[in-house]
Amino acid sequence: MPNVSRRTVLRTLGGAAALAAAPAPAEARAPRPPHDDDLGLLFDSTRCVGCRACTVRCREANSLPEDVKLVDGVPYDAPIDLNDRTLTVIKRTSDGADGAFVKAQCMHCADPACVSVCMLGALHKGERGVVAYDVSRCVGCRYCQVACPFNVPRFQWSSATPRIVKCELCRHRWREGKGAACAEACPREAVVFGPRAELRAEAHRRLEAEPGRYQGGVYGEREGGGTGVLVLSAVPFTAMGLPALGSEAVPALGETIQHGIYQGFVAPVVLFGALAWVTWRNRRAGGGGEGER
Amino acid sequence: MAHASVAPVGGPLLTRGTKLALFIAAVASVLVSVRLFTGLGPITALNDGFAWGIWKPLNVVTFTGVGAGALGLALVAHVANRGRHHPLVRSAVLTGAIAYTLAGISVLVDLGRWWSVWELVVPTRWNVRSVLLEVALCVIAYCAVLWLEVLPALLERWRDAPGARGRLAARVLPRMQRMFPFLLALAIVLPFMHQSSLGALFLFAPTKLHPLWYTGWLPALFLLSCLSMGFGAVIVVDTLTHLAWGRRRDVRLCSSLALVMAGLSFAFVALRVGDLATSGALRHVTGWRGVLFLVELGLFTYPAVRVLQRSYRENAGLLFWAAQLAVAGGALYRFDVYLGAFSPGLGWSYFPSLAELVFSLGLAAAGVALYVVAVKRLPILSGVAEPAERRQEAARLRAHA
Ligand code: SF4
Ligand code: SF4
Repeated sequence: MPNVSRRTVLRTLGGAAALAAAPAPAEARAPRPPHDDDLGLLFDSTRCVGCRACTVRCREANSLPEDVKLVDGVPYDAPIDLNDRTLTVIKRTSDGADGAFVKAQCMHCADPACVSVCMLGALHKGERGVVAYDVSRCVGCRYCQVACPFNVPRFQWSSATPRIVKCELCRHRWREGKGAACAEACPREAVVFGPRAELRAEAHRRLEAEPGRYQGGVYGEREGGGTGVLVLSAVPFTAMGLPALGSEAVPALGETIQHGIYQGFVAPVVLFGALAWVTWRNRRAGGGGEGER
Repeated sequence: MAHASVAPVGGPLLTRGTKLALFIAAVASVLVSVRLFTGLGPITALNDGFAWGIWKPLNVVTFTGVGAGALGLALVAHVANRGRHHPLVRSAVLTGAIAYTLAGISVLVDLGRWWSVWELVVPTRWNVRSVLLEVALCVIAYCAVLWLEVLPALLERWRDAPGARGRLAARVLPRMQRMFPFLLALAIVLPFMHQSSLGALFLFAPTKLHPLWYTGWLPALFLLSCLSMGFGAVIVVDTLTHLAWGRRRDVRLCSSLALVMAGLSFAFVALRVGDLATSGALRHVTGWRGVLFLVELGLFTYPAVRVLQRSYRENAGLLFWAAQLAVAGGALYRFDVYLGAFSPGLGWSYFPSLAELVFSLGLAAAGVALYVVAVKRLPILSGVAEPAERRQEAARLRAHA
C-alpha cells in the first residue's frame, strides 16, 4: 500500500476521532422552560417557625414510617435530613439567632438533571411539571443522586429491593382534589402549593410589600433553568444550602456536548465505515491478519 | 507472520498463585451473596451523598482503562497497519475481554435493582438522553465484541481436535476472518464512545465536581487517558508474562508503543492544562486537590518525557517502570473525577469499607486467574518456548530480577 494514502486515511480517522470527543459547540439543545400551570410550592423561609408540621404531615400523606431516634434514651421522630423515609425536613442555616429555617425537599426542576441521566426514565417529568418516580423503571444505579445538585433523591441502602425516595408533590392526592400535604399543614403560609404563575405572583407580592424582609429575589425563578419550588429568604441562598446555579439548566451543557458528538449517530457510523474499510484494505494488502488470520 | 508464533504456555493450571487468586475471589463472592440479602448499605460505606463509591472508578473505570490496550493495539496493528505489533494483540484483547467482563460484574453487584437490568436492552424503554444508558449499552456490546475477538484462539485449538469441535472450528474460523474488519471497526468505535462517555457522565454534576476537573473536554480527556493507560498496560502485561514464563519477546515492540503512549500523554497534558489556562481555572490549584492535580500531571508527564530517550525506552526495566507510572496516572485522573475531586457538599464523606476493597481485590484476582488459565491453554502469547527451555529461561530471569 502506498504510504501516502494510508496517511490520508489516518488523518481522516484522526479528524473523526477528534470530532467524536470534542465539546462540540453544536446548536444547544432546545430549552425546557417551566410552564405557568406547572404545580409547585413557594417556601417563604421568613415565615417558617420550624414547627415541622410539614414533615409530620408529609409522612402521613405518603405512608412513610417514622424516623425515630433516641436522644438520652428518649425516642423522638426527629429526622435530621432527608432520608429513605423522609421526603421533607426543616433545617436551620446556623445555630445563631441570625439563622433561618430551610425546607429540604425535591425542587421539581423544570429541566432536571435527575431526569436527564435516568436510563429508563424511572425519574421523569410527569403531569404538570412534577418530577415523578416509577420504581418499575428503576435499576438502582443511583446516578440521579450523583447528578441532583440539591442532593435530593435518597436510596434505601438497607433494602434488598431498594428504591429511590423523594418528594413527588403528593401527586397521588391530586385526584382527590388535594395538593401537597406540607402546604396544607403549614400554619403560617410559609409553604404554599399552587400553579407556578400564582406562586410567582405571590412571591413578588411579598417581596414588594416588605422589601426589607428579604434578600436576593426569588430562588428558582431562573436558577438551574427554573425550579418548581420557589424560595424566599432573609439570608443569602447559598447559606441555605441552595447551590449558586446559573440560569442554564443543569444537564444542558452535558446534553449539548453529547448531542453534538452523536448528532443523528453520524460520527460513529462514519467512523465505523472508515475503520472497516481501512482494515479490510490493509488485510487484502497482506499487512494485517493477526490471530484471526 | 507473527501469528505462527502464538502458542499456549502449558503447565499446570492450579498453581499456588492461581489458588490464592481463586481464594480471594471466593471471599469476594461470599460478600456478594451477603449483599443480595442485606442490600448495599451494611457492607459498603456508600451514602446518599457519595452514591458511587470506589467500585465505579476502580472496578469499572480503571479496569476498562487497563483493558483499553485492546483498543490501542487495534489502532496500531490494524488501522495504522503496523504488522509487527501483531504478537501483542491477542494478549491485549484477552486482557480487555476480562477487564470489561469484571467491570460488568461489578456494575451488576452495584446496581440496587440488578434483577431489572435486562430492561436496558428493550429500546422502547430507553431514555435516549441518558449518557449512562449509552455507556451501559456500549459496554455490553463491546464486551461481546471482545470475546468474539478472543474466540479464534479457542477455535484454533479446537481445529486440530477430531470430531464435532474440529469441524465446527473449521467452519467458523474462515467466517470470522471475513467478519474481521467489521468486528475490528466495532472494537474501535464502541470504546471510543463509552470511554469518552465515562467522562461525560460527570458533565451532569457541575456543582459537585471541582473546577480543576469540570470541563466540557471531559469526554476527550477520558478517551486520551484510556489510550495512554491502555498502552501502558500492554507493556506491563507483556513484561510480566515475559518474567513469569520466560517467553521470548521483542522489547522494541513495546518501546515503540511507549512512544505512542508518550504522544497520547502529551496530548492529554496539553489539552488539560491548555483548557484550564484558557478557562482561568488554573487559579484553583490550591490545597490538597491542587496536589492531586499536580501529581496527576507528573504521572502523565514524567514517563512520557523519559521514554523519549531511546536508551531509556529500550531498557526493559525502565520501560516497565515508565509504563506502570503511565497506568497509575490514567487511573489517578479517573479516580479524581469519580471521587477525589467530587464533593456533594457539606457534611458528606466517604471512605471505602473493607468489604468494598475485598470485592475489588477479588475481582482483580479472578481476572488474573482467568488470564493465566487462558494463556496456559490457548494460543494467546507469542514467543512461548518449549517447556524445558522455558523453565531455564524463567529461572534465569528471576535470578536477574
Ligand atoms: S431537585 Fe434533584 S431530584 Fe428534584 S427534580 Fe431537581 S434534580 Fe431532580
Ligand atoms: S437510581 Fe433509579 S431513578 Fe435514579 S437514575 Fe438510577 S434508574 Fe433512575
